[in-house]
Amino acid sequence: MSDELKSSTPQKPNTEPTSSRSTVPMWIIVLTLVLMFLSMVYFDHHSGWFNSQVYGPYASAEELESYQPKSGEAAMLAHGKARYDQVCGLCHGINGEGKPGQAPPLAGSEWVITKGFERVAHIPLEGLSGQLTVKGQTWSLSMPAMGAAMSDADLADVLTYIRNSWGNKGAPVTAAAVKAIRAKIGAHPQPLSSDTLKALPE
Amino acid sequence: MKTGFRVFLAALLALGSSWCGFVLGPVLQLGAEKQTTILNSSDLYPVGRPGEANQGLQVYRANGCAACHTEQVQQSGVECEVVLTGAGKNPAAVTNVISALKLNGLNIDAANSAVDKITAAGGKAEIHITATGPDITRGWGRRHSVAEDFLYDDPVQLGSLRIGPDLADVGTRQADANWQLRHLYAPRSVTTDSAMPPFRYLFQIQKIGDQPSADALSLPKEFAPPAGYEVVPTPQAQELVAYLLSLHANVPLHDAPFTQPLAVSKP
Repeated sequence: MSDELKSSTPQKPNTEPTSSRSTVPMWIIVLTLVLMFLSMVYFDHHSGWFNSQVYGPYASAEELESYQPKSGEAAMLAHGKARYDQVCGLCHGINGEGKPGQAPPLAGSEWVITKGFERVAHIPLEGLSGQLTVKGQTWSLSMPAMGAAMSDADLADVLTYIRNSWGNKGAPVTAAAVKAIRAKIGAHPQPLSSDTLKALPE
Repeated sequence: MKTGFRVFLAALLALGSSWCGFVLGPVLQLGAEKQTTILNSSDLYPVGRPGEANQGLQVYRANGCAACHTEQVQQSGVECEVVLTGAGKNPAAVTNVISALKLNGLNIDAANSAVDKITAAGGKAEIHITATGPDITRGWGRRHSVAEDFLYDDPVQLGSLRIGPDLADVGTRQADANWQLRHLYAPRSVTTDSAMPPFRYLFQIQKIGDQPSADALSLPKEFAPPAGYEVVPTPQAQELVAYLLSLHANVPLHDAPFTQPLAVSKP
């Protein structure tokens, strides 16, 4: 009993007991912050970096993109039509018939029903200005690069739709081919003219 | 006032960080949400509700429907199925390739490689994408709910308890307005063992006049009013049902893809 009392008595009875300021070792604080950072990165990574399009079972925008139903020519044409009606149809007409004073026809146009699709793919990616003869009629208009902002898959679907509708017939255009053409054009597209367009491979 | 300034700073930090997390973050993420197009179509989604259905949302809110019903379909996974659409010139080769392949319950990479193999053998195949999960199995929807679904809801009635079924797609599931009205008046007249309370105050029991009312509910004997009386829905009940019938979340979107049969083109 007397021992206990003795031990609980402060060594210096006149000073207030104090505690040191560094009770938590620095390495624990650093480790906690590092772990918090890593878990936040993990969380972000698995929620698509807060992309508003990414939900639930999909972990990233790329994964979501891969699940977009795009197989099958029917689906490709349907999607192509949707984009065409929104973007191209205003001037070229919903049925590809063209509009006087606005844009030449696409149905039966010799620039569209070429053997390959390289030439026609350049037009929406680079734009077109100056005179152009379509089905015996000369048009003097300019078209902005309407397809430059579309994704490769979208533009491929639109081109496939244009080349396979209203009596046109052509091989389907793939997204990879559009990507290759886009890469060839580079970052600064110049509007094409009739001559530069003719110089391109079909 | 050294401590006062510190308290101010601490409060600013605490409130400011939670404001960033709860207000700024969601606004940056979803604040600019707008109509989008349905996959493989040029139709916009969602279209606004008609006025009656919009009032019905307020009836839904006033009656606390969200206490027992959710409006959010969950999805736990996604599955692909490879569907043969053409056998090509050499059906035997295609058959050989197919017999060695697994064709359903695939992920997208496996499905793509299966399609490549079939194409290499001369056949044609498509990938059908299906959402999976308990909610989808129950038939509560065909895909998970996304932010666009709630674009015109003010306030959004997400709900968190599922004493009753999810209602995100109820307009597709049960499109019969009379069924919905009967269900509101006497849930057990259409669903045995329903746990839903009857919402009889949304209806009026009145004496049949010269002619029975066109809106009168046709109820089974057990639930029918005494002879000479009829049950007529009030405007609130009509609005609520209009709202329920306007709840559709059944179209594929970019953020919730699935394959559905190509829509029949409009005339």
